[in-house]
Amino acid sequence: MSAQKSDWDPHGWWIPYTSGDEAPWNLRRVVHLHLRAGFAATWDELQRDLRDGAARSIDRLLKGQARAGVPDKFRSVTETLAARAAADPAWLKAWWVYQMYAGPDPLGERLTLVWHNHFATSYDKVDDTEHMRRQNEIFRNHGRGPFGELLNAVVHDPALLIWLDAPANRRGNPNENLGRELMELFTLGVGHYTEADVKESARALTGWKVAQGAFRNWGPDHDSGEKTILGRTGRWNGDDLVEMLLRHPATSNRLAWRLCEWLMGEKSVAAAGIDALAAGLRHNDLNIGWAVETILRSQLFFAEKNMSNRVLGPVEYLIGLPRALECFDPQPSSLVLGEWTERLGQQLFYPPNVGGWRGGREWLTTQGIVGRANYAAALVEGRLWTRPIRFDGIALAKKHYRGRDLQDVLTFYAELLTGVPPEVAWRERLLAGLGPKAKLEPSTVRAAIALIAASPETQLA
Amino acid sequence: MYSRREFLRTGLHTYTLVALAPTVPGFLAQTARAVEPMRDGRILVVIQLNGGNDGINTVVPFADEGYARNRKVLRLPTDRLHKITREIGLHPAMGDAAKLVEDGRLAIVQGVGYPNPNRSHFKSMAIWHTANVNLPKEDALGAQTNASFGWIGRALDEGRRPVDGSPAAQFVGSGSMPQALRSKRSVASAIKRPEDAVLTLKESADSTLRTRAVHGEDLASFVRRSTLDAYGTSERMARVLRAEDSGLSYPATELAGRLRVLARLIKGGGGTRVFYTSQDYYDTHYDQLQIHASLLRELSGGLKAFLDDLAAARLAERAVILCFSEFGRRVRENGSQGTDHGTAGPVFLAGPGVRSGLAGDAPKLLDLQDGDLKMSVDFRRVYASVLEDWLGLPSKSSLGGEFAKLSIFRS
Repeated sequence: MSAQKSDWDPHGWWIPYTSGDEAPWNLRRVVHLHLRAGFAATWDELQRDLRDGAARSIDRLLKGQARAGVPDKFRSVTETLAARAAADPAWLKAWWVYQMYAGPDPLGERLTLVWHNHFATSYDKVDDTEHMRRQNEIFRNHGRGPFGELLNAVVHDPALLIWLDAPANRRGNPNENLGRELMELFTLGVGHYTEADVKESARALTGWKVAQGAFRNWGPDHDSGEKTILGRTGRWNGDDLVEMLLRHPATSNRLAWRLCEWLMGEKSVAAAGIDALAAGLRHNDLNIGWAVETILRSQLFFAEKNMSNRVLGPVEYLIGLPRALECFDPQPSSLVLGEWTERLGQQLFYPPNVGGWRGGREWLTTQGIVGRANYAAALVEGRLWTRPIRFDGIALAKKHYRGRDLQDVLTFYAELLTGVPPEVAWRERLLAGLGPKAKLEPSTVRAAIALIAASPETQLA
Repeated sequence: MYSRREFLRTGLHTYTLVALAPTVPGFLAQTARAVEPMRDGRILVVIQLNGGNDGINTVVPFADEGYARNRKVLRLPTDRLHKITREIGLHPAMGDAAKLVEDGRLAIVQGVGYPNPNRSHFKSMAIWHTANVNLPKEDALGAQTNASFGWIGRALDEGRRPVDGSPAAQFVGSGSMPQALRSKRSVASAIKRPEDAVLTLKESADSTLRTRAVHGEDLASFVRRSTLDAYGTSERMARVLRAEDSGLSYPATELAGRLRVLARLIKGGGGTRVFYTSQDYYDTHYDQLQIHASLLRELSGGLKAFLDDLAAARLAERAVILCFSEFGRRVRENGSQGTDHGTAGPVFLAGPGVRSGLAGDAPKLLDLQDGDLKMSVDFRRVYASVLEDWLGLPSKSSLGGEFAKLSIFRS
C-alpha cells in the first residue's frame, strides 16, 4: 500500500498508520485492534502483537492466523454442532458461538456478524434451522470478497427469500417486500429511489421461488413486461435489477457506511471520508476485504480520538471476556453462551426486524447493562460451564508474572480488557466496591474481575 | 435464611452472590423508600404495533362501496363485525375491544397520518417517534442531535423528574429503547423481563452508585450515566418482584404478559409517567387473514385484561393507553392474500378517562391519493391532546409547533 494519497482518496482520509510519538504502537492500540476487528485477545496474543508491530498484527487478523491456539478438533466439533442444530435453534446459536469462540478467524466471524445485521433475517419467520445455517455460511464464505458476489448469493438463497415473501411475488400479483428492502436496506438506502421504482422492482423479481429447499426461477410466474427502474427501461428481471443496484454509486456509499459503522466509533469519520472510501470501493469492484484492510491499516483507525469511542456490542462482550481470561480448557458451554446472547440484547439469528440492530448507544438498555454485569458474575462463579468451575484470577495473573498484590491484580485485568491501567477514580470505585477489608484472596479477585468487566470503562471499545 | 447481621456482613465485606430473590428478609423491603402511588399522577401507556397495521380491516368501513371492491379474499363478513355505528365495525376478533367501547373505555381516532406519507417502516416509525415529518438526513455515524430526541422524551424534559428517582419512562420489550422516549435529561429504562434486570452481584451496585451524577453528551458520560440509571432501576425492579402479584387472570399471550408486567410496575408505585411496549408482526404482505385476526385478538384481550386489572387495584383512572402503528396498508389487497404498505390508519386510546367511540372522519375508500387513504387527522394532534389534556405537559416545543387538540378526554 502506497503511503501517498491515492487517486480515489485525493484528500488522504485513509493514509496508512505509522507508529510514532503521536500514535505510538502500544498496548492500548493492540487491544483496540482486537476489540474492533476481532474479539478480546489473551495476554500472550496482546504481547506478541505489541512486539511484532501493527502491520504484522493486522496481517494475521486478515489471514485468519491471529489466534494462538485453535483446538485440533475444531472442524469435527463444528460439524457435530451443525448436525444438532438441524433440530433445534438453541444448537444453531451454539454452532455459531463455538466458531466465534474457538475458530481461527475472529475477523471473519465479526464480518459474519456484520452481514447478519445487514441482511437481517430472523429465525422467527423463516422457521427452518437449515435455511438459517446456510445463510450464515454464505455470510462466512462470501463476506470478504466482492459485495456483488455476497449480494447475489444472499438474494438467491431460501432464508432471505422466505423472510421477504419472494415466493408470493407473482406476475399480476406483486408483493413489494423483497424489492423494497433490497433497495432501502441492502443496497441504495432511502432517498435514492421512488415508490414507483419499488413497484417496478417487485415486478422484476417475480418468479423467484423456493423449491425443495433451494432457489428456483419460475418462468410462468415472472412478469416479463417492460419496466422502468431508476430511469432505465427494459424487460428487467431479478438479476438485471441486482446488477443495476450494484452499479449505482449509492450502494458503494452505503457499503462504506456499513463498514465504518462496524470499525469506527462515534463521530470518527466525516461524510467526505465515507465518500472517499466509497470511491475506493467502486475502483475495487466493491471488494469488502479491500475496504476492511484499508480501514484497519489507516491512521484514522488508530487516531487517539477514534479509540474508546464505540460501544462494545453484546456478542463481542460475551465472546471476548472468557477468551481474554483464557477459559479454554474446558471452554464454557456454547449452548449456555448462545442463550446469553438473548439476555444481553443481541440474540443470534433473531434480529428484531429486517433493519437489524441499530447498535451503538442503543445496546445499553437497563437489560443490556445489568445483563453484562450478571454475565461477568456468572463467569467468575463458573456458571457458564456444565459443571461449575470457579475462575482462578490469581493463577492467571501469576502466570503472566503479575498479581503480587490486589492493586496489581486490578491493574492487570484493566490492562487486559481495556489496554490501560485504571484511572484513579475508577480504581477508587473498584476498591470501594470490594470493601475496606479486601485482600488478595480468590473470592475478592473474582469480584474484582466481575466489577472490572461490568464497569462503564470496559464497555468503551 | 440470614439474620440481619449475617446478611450485612456477607453482603458488604465478602464477595458472595446475593441474588435479590423473594426470600430476602422483609426488613429490606421496608427500608427501601416506599412511595405511595401519586394520587393524581397520570400515566400514559403506549403500545406500538410494529409493521403497519391494516386499519381498514381493523376498524372496518363495511358500508363503503370501496371495501367490497378492493377487498375480495380479505373482505370480512359484515355480520361478524362488532358494529360501532351503522357504517363502522370492529374486526370479529376484537370482541373485548367492542366491550371496552360499550362501557366507555375505548376511543378510536380514524384516518390518522401525516402529510407526504413515507412507506418505509423505519422512516415512518421515526416520524411517529420524533413528531418530525421532515426527517433530517442522518449523520453518517448516527450522532446524537436534538432532532433525534422523541416526542415523549422532549415532553418529559419539560416536566419534573419523579421524586423517588424512578425513571420517567419505562420500556418493556425486546430490542432497544424506542426513539420516542429518548430525551436530553429524563431517565428512560428499557428491559425485556424484570428478572433479567436484577443484579446478582451486589458489589456492582455499591461500587458504581458511589459516582456523582454524570453530565455530558459524549459517549463516556453516556455510558456512565446509563450504568447508574440501570443499577437504580435494578434495585426498584427487585423490590417490585418481591411484592406479591395480585393480578387478575390475563390471556396467555405475549402482549398480555408484558402488560401484566406493566401493571405490576404501576401497582408497585413510583413516579414513572410513561410505559411503552410493542406488538410485532403486523407487516402482513402475505396471507393476512389468520395472523391479523390473531394479533387483534391478542391486542384486544390484552387491553381489557390490563384495564380490568388496574380497575381492581383502583388505579385505572390514572392510566390511558395509546395504540398506534407506523402506517396503515393499501386499500386494494395484493396478490398474496395480503396488503402492502399504505398511509393513514386508526389510533386507539383506552381507559376510563377517554370519551369512548369514534373520532375523526372515517376514511373514504373511493376517495384516494395514489391508491392510498387520505388522512383526516394529523397524528401530532393526537400527541398534543395526550400531552396537554392527559399528562398536563406542554406540547409546543415537543412537537415543534401548535396542533389543534382533539376532544378525546373527559376532563
